[in-house]
Amino acid sequence: MANYFNSLPLREQLNQLGVCEFMDIAEFADGVAALKGKKIVIVGAGAQGLNQGLNLRDSGLDISYALRQEAIDNKRDSWKNATDNNFKVGTFEELIPGADVVVNLTPDKQHTAVVTKIMPLMKKNSTLLYSHGFNIVEEGMQIRKDITVIMVAPKCPGSEVRAEYLRGFGVPTLIAVHPENDPEGKGLEQAKAYCVGTGGHRAGVLRSSFVAEVKSDLMGEQTILCGLLQTGSILSFDKMLEKGIDPGYASKLVQYGVEVITEALKHGGVSGMMDRLSNPAKIAAFKISEELKTIMRPLFQKHQDDIMSGEFSSTMMKDWANGDANLLKWRAETGETAFEKTPAGDVKIGEQEYFDNYTLMVAFIRAGVELAFETMVEAGIKAESAYYESLHETPLIANTIARKKLFEMNRVISDTAEYGCYLFDQACKPLLAGFMKTVDTDLVGKNFNEGKSGSVDNAELVHINAILRDHPVEVVGRKLRKAMTAMKSIKTA
Amino acid sequence: MYQPKDTSSYSFVFNRGYCTLYNLFIRNWKIMSESVVNILNLNVRFKDKIVLDHLSWNIVRGQNWVLNGISGSGKTTLAQLIETPKGIDGTITYNFDKNSPLPRQVLYVSNWYHFRNLEGDANFYYQQRYNRKQARDTLTVSGDFQVFGKEKNLDIADADRIIDALGYRELLDSQLIELSSGEHKKLQLIKALWLKPQLLILDQPYAGLDVASRKNLNTLLEELSSIGSQYILITNDSSVPNNVHMYAQIIDGKLVAADTNNHHHEILHELEPLPEFLTEKPVYHADQVVKMIDMNIHYGEKQVLNHINWEVKAGEKWLLQGHNGSGKSTLLSLVCADHPQSYVDGLFLFGKQRGSGESIWDIKEKIGLISPELHWYFDPAATVFTSIASGFYDSIGLFKQLPYSQTVKVREIIAFLNLKDVQHELLNTLPLGKQRLALLARAIIKNPELLILDEPCQGLDNDQTQYFNKFVDKLCANGTTLIYVGHYESALPSCLEKRILLDKGHVVKIETIQ
Repeated sequence: MANYFNSLPLREQLNQLGVCEFMDIAEFADGVAALKGKKIVIVGAGAQGLNQGLNLRDSGLDISYALRQEAIDNKRDSWKNATDNNFKVGTFEELIPGADVVVNLTPDKQHTAVVTKIMPLMKKNSTLLYSHGFNIVEEGMQIRKDITVIMVAPKCPGSEVRAEYLRGFGVPTLIAVHPENDPEGKGLEQAKAYCVGTGGHRAGVLRSSFVAEVKSDLMGEQTILCGLLQTGSILSFDKMLEKGIDPGYASKLVQYGVEVITEALKHGGVSGMMDRLSNPAKIAAFKISEELKTIMRPLFQKHQDDIMSGEFSSTMMKDWANGDANLLKWRAETGETAFEKTPAGDVKIGEQEYFDNYTLMVAFIRAGVELAFETMVEAGIKAESAYYESLHETPLIANTIARKKLFEMNRVISDTAEYGCYLFDQACKPLLAGFMKTVDTDLVGKNFNEGKSGSVDNAELVHINAILRDHPVEVVGRKLRKAMTAMKSIKTA
Repeated sequence: MYQPKDTSSYSFVFNRGYCTLYNLFIRNWKIMSESVVNILNLNVRFKDKIVLDHLSWNIVRGQNWVLNGISGSGKTTLAQLIETPKGIDGTITYNFDKNSPLPRQVLYVSNWYHFRNLEGDANFYYQQRYNRKQARDTLTVSGDFQVFGKEKNLDIADADRIIDALGYRELLDSQLIELSSGEHKKLQLIKALWLKPQLLILDQPYAGLDVASRKNLNTLLEELSSIGSQYILITNDSSVPNNVHMYAQIIDGKLVAADTNNHHHEILHELEPLPEFLTEKPVYHADQVVKMIDMNIHYGEKQVLNHINWEVKAGEKWLLQGHNGSGKSTLLSLVCADHPQSYVDGLFLFGKQRGSGESIWDIKEKIGLISPELHWYFDPAATVFTSIASGFYDSIGLFKQLPYSQTVKVREIIAFLNLKDVQHELLNTLPLGKQRLALLARAIIKNPELLILDEPCQGLDNDQTQYFNKFVDKLCANGTTLIYVGHYESALPSCLEKRILLDKGHVVKIETIQ
């Protein structure tokens, strides 16, 4: 199989990268009608599979789960998840031939095997639904021409997808139709109906393409979302230890700090996050983040280039073929870092203290969000897509670090994201070695404002505020966040 | 939990000008020697409202108190400050018995309890407990007991009797997420009775408890005080333990002695005429509102509902009763379309077989619901106004622009229930009684076919309960179908005409109420 994106002429590459439309709620007026009475068979009953299925059935759709024979025979968790909730469960052979829509919610790595197995069983003119386009775009999986191929990707963990639905709301969602596989022109209507079934239409839907989704998703997760959070966390922790800050305090500050700081990001964007700092700290964070952007820009560009050229995916697939040797090795190494091994101390850290004593992380996040966004947009990805894959998802990932540090983050994200995260981390740490030498405890570990006068130059502050607020990620963010105002805030420790 | 460093006498003194440390010392020397907690000139304000106004209270060793009175008078605030006197304006002095083996501390058991999962996260959602997922991320009940026992140095064998007395043994293997609100409450009570602090404060201890558990709780409290502990109960219930010594109320921010629980201090305003739109007969979609034929619900090996047959016809008024854990909440979750296992043959709602293409929202739009769980998981960002308005959409919080015609209805019902002055306050900052009224308004705002009131009067005072039930009677006179859950015969609306009784997941009785 050849990389699909690379098989396209430049004109078509740009065309598909540029599919990006924030949809109006009125476009969902038809509800789930396009899928009503259709047999929807979900393959995979993990967190996304189970929770999406629960929502879809509660929206009046006909849902069952196709599992591998071994999973049924051995009563694996996926089998229990489905049967304990009174879903119909069967083997691929039993359920796929009758399915109008087959939903593939297995991990990326299994896509080729799963799709190869189910495709011959799928009936004529049925639909195959993905929630991530890696298999189609990077692996170049060719789907039978009578089959419609669509994507519906809720931009939140499975448990949130369920929780928000039961509140009567939803989570922001991305939908797409694969242009090579829309023989009857019904793809978009079905994707919209599926989106309504999961509740996503209430929280803002972005119409994208398989290509745009994959290229932006990979870029986001490798750089700002996982890579930089990992690098920033480890460097910050090591710096505090080097400077004699209590390890328990340092561990707690880093573990929960990203979550508290990015919660501000969620509500008010980068400028909202920066506004949580005192004026002098904001000016310092601004200057440091400018420096960080200069240092890290080439690395961000390299990641984007490797993603666009297919270099990243081919390297990673070689590792798949090699039994995940590198992934497992790097995972083990992350588990051995001092940050990972030092439990959070039993100290109370107030919400504002996370900002005042962790200015460095604020600077890291501003630099990372803006760089990821800028690099994606330069590569032809539209601003809305770039926003979702940078700023929007950062608090969600930060939340996993708060739960169980980097181990938890790397467990929750896909193996694809995890692999890219390690690549970034390994390259970024040496890049920042010189910079980190200049960092002292006023930026990480102690209150930045302590012993400082607090006065600032008016003109400088106004100038900096304007730069922060006028950044394109802020302009598009203000528009998109309006649609998500009702999103529940993540509780902080 | 508050544990003073120096247990013999530890004071928080804040300079109020006239109240110097010296004065305090002289005036209270005598009292302090025999009191366990002495409160002097405690002031609390919430925004512009004075909650506690120079409140003083001497809690003598060995004395058991009942604190009653109207909802919103400051009882919970006071109790929390006694446990954790942080940043207070006033003085609270502790004088625990050094010779007693019991823990020298005040333990406050709140009306409601927030449990956490194994990752310390309390971010759960409405009806999550019915969604079965294999990844287990909360402790089991017995695991929770073990953690608590280890932390407090307690012998697990001592908990056994308490567990049995409150009928909790069957729940030991349940995960915390699977418990109902009443069961969470009991979990807190068991831990408190097991710990035996020198002063135990229980906020609404009887809320959600069935009659038997409540009797047993009283026996346990009587025993507790016989071994040197003492308690304060915040309750308006009249069947309290036999060894209550003192009754008190908070009136205008001050502690005032009261006689018993049979008090009538708040002049009950007569019910105003109902808003016009609530007097119209609901539009019924079918004569048969609920029909269950041989319904079974099980969690793994555990059978929660057994061969349930039940029919509710349009306009009927049902009372649903049963012990804690008898399956009431699960039964109601089937009716409210909240249970993933309701996609089976044998369940008909509003004349339609469940799982025949309807969405849960199609069902919910015909139901007005109030339950402890809905209240528990309600949107913390909702105001009284948006809470009520969300009843039009059955969402937990309002996510839509409200049309004018509906805004008018919300305003009418707010005026009717005297909630106007708090309409823009956050729901969860109000006294419990007001919160319940607002959620009742949410339940009825769309004049539903079926009204489900699951222990709606939990935590309300006697007068509020009467007022509430009168309101329900009046409301249902228009032909609304009602399913009402309530443990106490004395506190039920009079319109109820049929009763279904559950025991251990079986229907044991269906009868007409005389």
